[in-house]
Amino acid sequence: MKEDKTYKDRRYRIDELRAKNEKMTSRQRTRMAINFEEPDRIPIDNWMVPEIKKRCMEYWGCESEEELLAFLGVDVRDNYGASYVGQEFKKYDDGTVDDLWGVRRKVVTYGKGTSHEGTFKEVSWSPLEHMKTVEEINTYTRWPSPDWWDYSKVKEDCAKWHPQYFVLNKGDRLDRTAQLKPMMYMRGIQQTFIDLAANPKIVECIRDHIINYFVNYNPKVFEAGAEEMDMFMMGDDMGGQQGPLVGPEMWKRYFAAGFRKYCDIAHKYGLKVMFHTCGDVYALIPLMIENGLDCLQSLQPTATNMDIKRLKKEFGKHLSFQGGMDIQQVLPLGTREDVKKMVKYAADNAKSGGGYIFGTSHNIQADTAIENVAALFEAYHEYGVY
Amino acid sequence: MSTLKQLAEYVEKGKIEEVSSLVQKLLGDNISADRIVSEGLVPGLDAIGEKYSKFECFVPELMVAAMAAQEALKVLRPKMSEGTLHKPMGTIVIGTVAGDVHDVGKNIVAMVLEGSGFKVIDLGVNVPAASFLKEVKYQEAEILALSSLYTPTRLAMKEIIQALKDQGIRDKIKVMVGGAPIDQAFCDLIGADGYAPDAPQAVKVAISLIQANK
Repeated sequence: MKEDKTYKDRRYRIDELRAKNEKMTSRQRTRMAINFEEPDRIPIDNWMVPEIKKRCMEYWGCESEEELLAFLGVDVRDNYGASYVGQEFKKYDDGTVDDLWGVRRKVVTYGKGTSHEGTFKEVSWSPLEHMKTVEEINTYTRWPSPDWWDYSKVKEDCAKWHPQYFVLNKGDRLDRTAQLKPMMYMRGIQQTFIDLAANPKIVECIRDHIINYFVNYNPKVFEAGAEEMDMFMMGDDMGGQQGPLVGPEMWKRYFAAGFRKYCDIAHKYGLKVMFHTCGDVYALIPLMIENGLDCLQSLQPTATNMDIKRLKKEFGKHLSFQGGMDIQQVLPLGTREDVKKMVKYAADNAKSGGGYIFGTSHNIQADTAIENVAALFEAYHEYGVY
Repeated sequence: MSTLKQLAEYVEKGKIEEVSSLVQKLLGDNISADRIVSEGLVPGLDAIGEKYSKFECFVPELMVAAMAAQEALKVLRPKMSEGTLHKPMGTIVIGTVAGDVHDVGKNIVAMVLEGSGFKVIDLGVNVPAASFLKEVKYQEAEILALSSLYTPTRLAMKEIIQALKDQGIRDKIKVMVGGAPIDQAFCDLIGADGYAPDAPQAVKVAISLIQANK
């Protein structure tokens, strides 16, 4: 940490609140919360795009990402699972590169030349998009294999955070345990929606290939390192800004069984299960609880029906929550006061009886001012105390 | 059930093949393309839009209904221009703004607008401001509809509105905005004319903007 006065002054508020409020390790705190007990303060998780991480490090004088997380009082540490040792992903002349599923991706830059410039890897070609039959899809040979991974370092990767921190096994964003998302990558989003309504056999075929991969991959990860993990996270975007992308009947028909399998495997290894989804999934929550979910992540407040107060009231006895901080309007466009108000609202309505972890509804995006990020973390420490 | 009602039902249920063959039959029976659109496609899309807004159906069902209407329009549109009675309800230039390559939501909106009788020119994704401006002038469009999914890219909408002002054509065109990070407050903030949270409501907003302009 840089010790110049400017940085020390900027860090003062958070340092002061933490010294006053914290009475246990991050791991103890977070485990209590997800077991519906009240710890010393609401635990904190952190999702940021790399551009924001960099800006935060500069602002608070942190010399590494870990220094930043430790300073901010972030209680959760991420584990990305096994290391990829399969064949090198094929690169094409047009600049695209294969991913794990044989989907060609290219790096897209947004906000070029502005303060919020950033990049992400977009799908540029979906290998199954133009296939017409189940037979054709079954001829596809690029399904990933659990043999493409080296599991030997999982345990030590997690153990380095234990016992201090709460370890969340979440996988890489593009390889995260899911059903619908890989289908959308491989088949194209639009074609997937059409299939869901009109081609059930194709949906079931692709879905089964996807499930087959994860139910073989995940046990190997857990076998290697579950004793040093606390929670397993899967992620599948099932929600739109206004209502779920697929309805409860469709979810039951296509996704409930796979969801349950994923949860059961993690539970067998003693891990809690977190599920990330953007958007409004209110109508699906009872089904998710019924099929084994412990913690719902994101709680996008600008989506309809995702008000944390209501969710806590209706589902808080059976489900814990992580998220609820708005990255679409309040963080990029609001004032510091708006940010503080948002944090206070979530704390007031979700902290009772444990079962809540602070977090943003997705990565804090590059269009967010550092002052608002600072306000967010200061408010976490101010309002999170029990 | 009348055949046009049957067509509306097929559209609502997204039965693409049935819609196509029934449209052929109706044309064979000398029903005008204009009537097939207004009494078959539009009520079908209205019905699915109504269900969608009540959470009785979801994106997959809305998508196949819009596609069924779009397929039918491929056959009907050339015939519609034959009649002097029929003119499109208005011309809309639509696209996803620069830096953003998400197109599914925008495609559904374009399909539903088209199915509801608008002439829609879809410029695709990652569309620079200059391309929107050029197309709006060339098409003499009444509405420019802008989409983004990613929060930082939505700022491009503001730049496009500024460019319309700079070129002196801001008062000649209505600007509609939509996409996950967009809401009425953002619409007001950047000085756009209308916001719709989904495709069925985009139709309503587009109609009211066109009427306001008359």
